[in-house]
Amino acid sequence: MSEVLKPQFTGARVTRLEDARLLRGQARYVDDFEYPGTLEVAFLRSNRAAARIQSVDVTEALAVPGVKAVWTFADCPITLPDRPFQVGQPVLARDEVRFVGEPVAAVIADSRYRAEDAVEKIRVQYEPLPAVVDSRAALADQPRRVHEHRPNRFLHKTHVTDGFNEAFQSAPHHLELTFRWNRQTGVTMETRGCLALPDPVSGRLTVYAGHQSPHGLRGMLARLLKLPEHQVRVVVPEVGGGFGIKAMFYPEYVVVAEAARRLGRPVKWIGDRMESLLADAHARDAIHEVAVAYDDEGRILAVRDHVIGDTGAYAFPGFPGAVGEANWATEMLTGPYKIPHVSIEIECVFSNKAPLGPYRGVGGPIGAQVQEAIVDAVARALGKDPVEVRRANLIGPEDFPYHTPTGKVYDPGSYGESLERALALVDYERFRKDQEQWRAQGRYVGLGLCVFVEPSAMAESEAGSIPYEAVTLRMEPSGVVTAAVGTGPTGQGHETTFAQLIADQLGIDVKDVVVLHGDTDSAPFGGGTGGSRSGTIGGGAAIRAGQALRRKLTQLAAHLLEAAEEDIRLEAGKAFVAGVPARSITIRDLARTAYTDVARLPEGMQPGLEVVARYQPPGAATYSNGTHLAVVEVDVETGFVKVLDYVVVNDCGVLVNPMIVEGQIHGGVAQGIGSALLEELRYDENGQLTTTSLMDYLLPTAEDVPRMRVEHIQTPSASEGGIKGMGEGSLIAAPGAIAAAVSDALAPFGVFVTELPIRPQQIVAWVQAAKTEAQAG
Amino acid sequence: MSETTQEVSPVETREGTVEITLKVNGKSHRIAVEPRMLLSDVLRHELGLTGTHVGCEQGVCGACTVLVEGEPQRSCLMFAVQAEGREITTVEGLTPEAGLSPLQAAFERHHALQCGFCTPGMIVTCEALLRSGRPVTEETVREAISGNVCRCTGYQFIVDAVLDAAKEGAR
Ligand code: FES
Ligand code: FES
Repeated sequence: MSEVLKPQFTGARVTRLEDARLLRGQARYVDDFEYPGTLEVAFLRSNRAAARIQSVDVTEALAVPGVKAVWTFADCPITLPDRPFQVGQPVLARDEVRFVGEPVAAVIADSRYRAEDAVEKIRVQYEPLPAVVDSRAALADQPRRVHEHRPNRFLHKTHVTDGFNEAFQSAPHHLELTFRWNRQTGVTMETRGCLALPDPVSGRLTVYAGHQSPHGLRGMLARLLKLPEHQVRVVVPEVGGGFGIKAMFYPEYVVVAEAARRLGRPVKWIGDRMESLLADAHARDAIHEVAVAYDDEGRILAVRDHVIGDTGAYAFPGFPGAVGEANWATEMLTGPYKIPHVSIEIECVFSNKAPLGPYRGVGGPIGAQVQEAIVDAVARALGKDPVEVRRANLIGPEDFPYHTPTGKVYDPGSYGESLERALALVDYERFRKDQEQWRAQGRYVGLGLCVFVEPSAMAESEAGSIPYEAVTLRMEPSGVVTAAVGTGPTGQGHETTFAQLIADQLGIDVKDVVVLHGDTDSAPFGGGTGGSRSGTIGGGAAIRAGQALRRKLTQLAAHLLEAAEEDIRLEAGKAFVAGVPARSITIRDLARTAYTDVARLPEGMQPGLEVVARYQPPGAATYSNGTHLAVVEVDVETGFVKVLDYVVVNDCGVLVNPMIVEGQIHGGVAQGIGSALLEELRYDENGQLTTTSLMDYLLPTAEDVPRMRVEHIQTPSASEGGIKGMGEGSLIAAPGAIAAAVSDALAPFGVFVTELPIRPQQIVAWVQAAKTEAQAG
Repeated sequence: MSETTQEVSPVETREGTVEITLKVNGKSHRIAVEPRMLLSDVLRHELGLTGTHVGCEQGVCGACTVLVEGEPQRSCLMFAVQAEGREITTVEGLTPEAGLSPLQAAFERHHALQCGFCTPGMIVTCEALLRSGRPVTEETVREAISGNVCRCTGYQFIVDAVLDAAKEGAR
């Protein structure tokens, strides 16, 4: 399109089209659908980390009134795909349980209450086995193999740049650090669940589920239930948060769908919070043993990283979590810094813990924390200011496209600029002076930075390996546009942002674009939402579809107004001739004509206004960036950390809706504060998960999260519309910034944080140890 | 609202259930429930008021918050039988026939919701704060919603929305 587009909605703080129904309490999530005769499922889950199942006695359970069936693996002998590691999870445990929370049996009853009654009456005889809970021991198959037929280590890979050894050895300085991230999880406020409705006439199955990839879910269900794909319809209604965990395929979905099919009744399962903490995809759980070589100026010359990742008992189909974590963390290990050499070794193991999958940012938070801690450690070792060391290492504007030592190609970003702006927002020099005074008064305030790079819109992500998205547009005879998309929003506001992009192409009001998603009967085949791909790839498809429809409208208007196509403008609901606004026709009239007055169409033009566009961005990924700056105060007596100030300077290319972008950033920072200071899934030495309620797994509340200041820089991507993905950057950057701030606050005690989350007891212990040492010395 | 229990047709009592009258959003409902049924489940599944959400049933997340006699309470921590005879208000009861309440409109203006799952609980909690006559400041809002977990928004825009709604109400 040659004419200059006057965006009216793109870039504006348009309030969301989805909000009214959500605010009024009328939006419908999976559990809000009621169908007559619906049966409900409750699962008996393993209370052992590792044990052989000797027997399962369901007699008493079957006698509970209202119980229709009780299934074990023998009744539902389906196993999730076992490639590529020769390990597939049976949908109900087969012969052996491998983690606490693994589904062992399913009760299907006329109410959840009765189903739960029956679950309590199932008798399982277990023969306990030693649990594999320590990933280092697991590497050596100690105390045993999780899966008898194969070693625990299922992935081992290395990547060493040419000349690494020489660069590393010849460097004047070296330091070593070992980082540990404990287990965490996404905790969507709506738990997972699904509802399957059989149609006895057609044999078709409709499955309602909160899921990030409607077509992905359909494909997997069809495959496992041995149904042709068109016989499965997936409907994703409102979803109460996804964060990666709802991109996965879980065994419960198979059991529910199969039960509906076999019993010929609607069947529903809604997980409770304990189930969600036990068996939603867990995340993180990795060790990074890092060695750094640097020079007198603080320039980092080479980094070695040995990663041990613990994926739990099974690998999610298509997304073995530990591999995702380790790959992302190491591929992005050099972040925004010009570090020429890396040597990376990754080892991933099975253990008797819940399966690891994606959580917002995947390995990004770990990679970013490691990368920033390296810089801070170098600064501390050299007695330099951490900002100075960052400046010495940052990739500059002249370096783009920048080839990382891990084979990534960064498109232009604003690394240095984002850092400088963040520093200016807090008056950095002034802060350092104040900090000294506070220290003299016994107040430990620290400042932490994370200059992050966020890969987005990758060809492959947890939402599958589909590198494109599709949008179909249909302008109805009324002039209102119905758009159908294959993405799977879980709160990101696609109905608004896609409508903004489409409305601007067509010169119509944003409220005249209705975006449908989530129903595989109406949505074009798509990858779904994950890996921050929807804005760039889905948004690109929305623009392309808008352009295609615009061409047709323009053609039609030119014909009716007897003008040249290049002189036609579409704006404010009208098509008009440039410079002669009186020669115009409303877009509504155009639409009506296209369907119902077809004699007036130009020769050869098909009636109707309907297009489909698919879009695949030009690059393998586009990289957002930014700087997070956290100021925290640590109470060294209680170990309590309070975040006093938080600044984000974010660059995700062209902003479609700054308000939505800021909302994403705020939410990610809150999760980052949780990751750094609160959230931990703790397994004991027997593999028992001890954090199975939200009283133990602590989520950040409004009193833990400070007011944040967010500013934007816009360095466009080469993708359609110049958009970059940004769903994950804030959670990638925040934990590193908080950890760095705590290290900075506790620098007088020589504390340097390498383990997340940081527990208050640790802080107290570190400070105590430092004081004791100081006295002894 | 002048409905009385007599106008509601009696519900057949299933085995193990008790009949209760629930006053919800100004209407009386005569229903048979098992004594162990949570108020949240009864509101959602017996009365079809699915605006009240359930996020934990552990009393922590606040998604299930309703007003009981005007005070915010967690409907997952209460049995329906305990609510008998008390005035219950759910998000549906705080929503005008058409459009949005001033607080809901402020939530929309300030982008105070993303997935919307915590939203009804937030609206109920914040409406109670606005009606309480207590001062509405950044601190009191954060304190009031400290028992309502939102995993999406980071709270800031919720705080902004409530402050704005309070200002509007004062005008
Ligand atoms: S569901 Fe009631 S507090 Fe979470
Ligand atoms: S908007 Fe999703 S939990 Fe609050």
